[in-house]
Amino acid sequence: MSDNKKEAGALGQLYKTFFAKHWPVWVGGIILGTLNILLFAIKSPWGASGGINNWGENLYSILGLFNLEDATPLISSNYGMLCLFLVIGSFIGALFSKEFALRIPPVGELIKGFIGGSLMALGATFGIGCTIGAFFSGMPALSGGAIIFTIGLFLGVIVALKYLMWEMEKFPGFSSGKSYSFFAGTGKKGNWQKWAGWIVLIITLYIAYQYSGNHQVLAWFIIIGMLMGLISQRSRFCIVKAFRDPFMTGESDGSVGVMAGIMIGLIGFTIIKYFGIAVGDVALRTREMTWIFSHFFFRAIIGGFVFGLGMTIAGGCAVGTLWRVGEGQVKLWASALGFLIISPISKLYIVPPIVEMLPASWDFKSYLPDYLGYPGAFALVTVIILIWYVFVKWNEKTGKFSAY
Amino acid sequence: MNIAIDQTLDCKGLSCPMPMMKLAKAMKGMKSEEVLEMIGTDPGTKSDLPRWCNKSGNVLLDEGELEGGIFRFLIQKK
Repeated sequence: MSDNKKEAGALGQLYKTFFAKHWPVWVGGIILGTLNILLFAIKSPWGASGGINNWGENLYSILGLFNLEDATPLISSNYGMLCLFLVIGSFIGALFSKEFALRIPPVGELIKGFIGGSLMALGATFGIGCTIGAFFSGMPALSGGAIIFTIGLFLGVIVALKYLMWEMEKFPGFSSGKSYSFFAGTGKKGNWQKWAGWIVLIITLYIAYQYSGNHQVLAWFIIIGMLMGLISQRSRFCIVKAFRDPFMTGESDGSVGVMAGIMIGLIGFTIIKYFGIAVGDVALRTREMTWIFSHFFFRAIIGGFVFGLGMTIAGGCAVGTLWRVGEGQVKLWASALGFLIISPISKLYIVPPIVEMLPASWDFKSYLPDYLGYPGAFALVTVIILIWYVFVKWNEKTGKFSAY
Repeated sequence: MNIAIDQTLDCKGLSCPMPMMKLAKAMKGMKSEEVLEMIGTDPGTKSDLPRWCNKSGNVLLDEGELEGGIFRFLIQKK
């Protein structure tokens, strides 16, 4: 009996470790970086905008619009399912920690969510990637385009932050007004959330098991997606925060968390690419060029800029949007809706005519080891991260670039 | 805890970054040792706000959760 009590105590402590308080962002960053390596080892690295685009294509397929009947069904799409289970993983994390609630913001915030999501869709389709594919995975993938995309992101974030501050000053009413909150898990009455969390977790594992027979990769994408959502929710891992906070409140925690994930990813990705590690028979060059997109430099800088604008206005990048959807933040539901509605339209009708007008030499695949060798490419990405680290830490102390 | 409140900031329904932006702006307009009560529903504020207080030198006097998933913080300007 007493042994049982001790056992329950130990498990209770373990549960509290994970779900009583938020985790440090750098812990989340390191685990997400590790899971990203695992995704690359079994198939290809983490990406988010492609998965949300798949949701949009499925929506239009159901509606019979834009000749998208041949779109990959969501249930067979690796990245569509990764994104879906990222939302579910965050939902599980929020339920276990009793942080889930349907939080409906003032109308002005919903509008900003939708516009932000739409801008992210435009930026991702033009720039061929989002903060995950073209940054959090792109930098470790030793992509020259990722560096350019990152510069675009910074510029977009700074401009959009200026806008938010201007809006707060001139039109404070836009982000004020009636708001609602439902199903909150406050106090003992909210213990139902923990039970609901277990039920959703078991259903998720059952679905992954169902796929494990003939679709092993998809089964693992479901599990890793779920873990990514849960970890993002618990550590509040947010790439917008990483770019924005040094210029807003001057804090560096969010930035350091993202840097930790990139550095872990950099080590794993470099090894996978260097040795051409893959499941099945894949050519070394194919492996090396994974997540190297034809966007160096024009599409990357413009795409990054527009994406940076969108994610700052929405208050979450593609992944930040998804995990906040899972914890019930309805502003980010509007953002996800804008993203999935606009993404296929942009991919089919907005981006192609613009790209046709661009000189072919403006965009190509830039793989850094082709120019610098593996040691040089690894060192370049490391130095960029180090410079960013020194900057955010110096800025945190001095407040030179912080608005508040 | 019996603390005199000088100003209340309602951030219910708002998500990141609006609560922290509004808080930082409100604190700018307050005098030293005045106390601001902030209420909101964004779980992110639970970790953002103590970190910001730590960095800015303002004092987090109290934090708690009210009915309906509403978080309440009392912050004293340094």
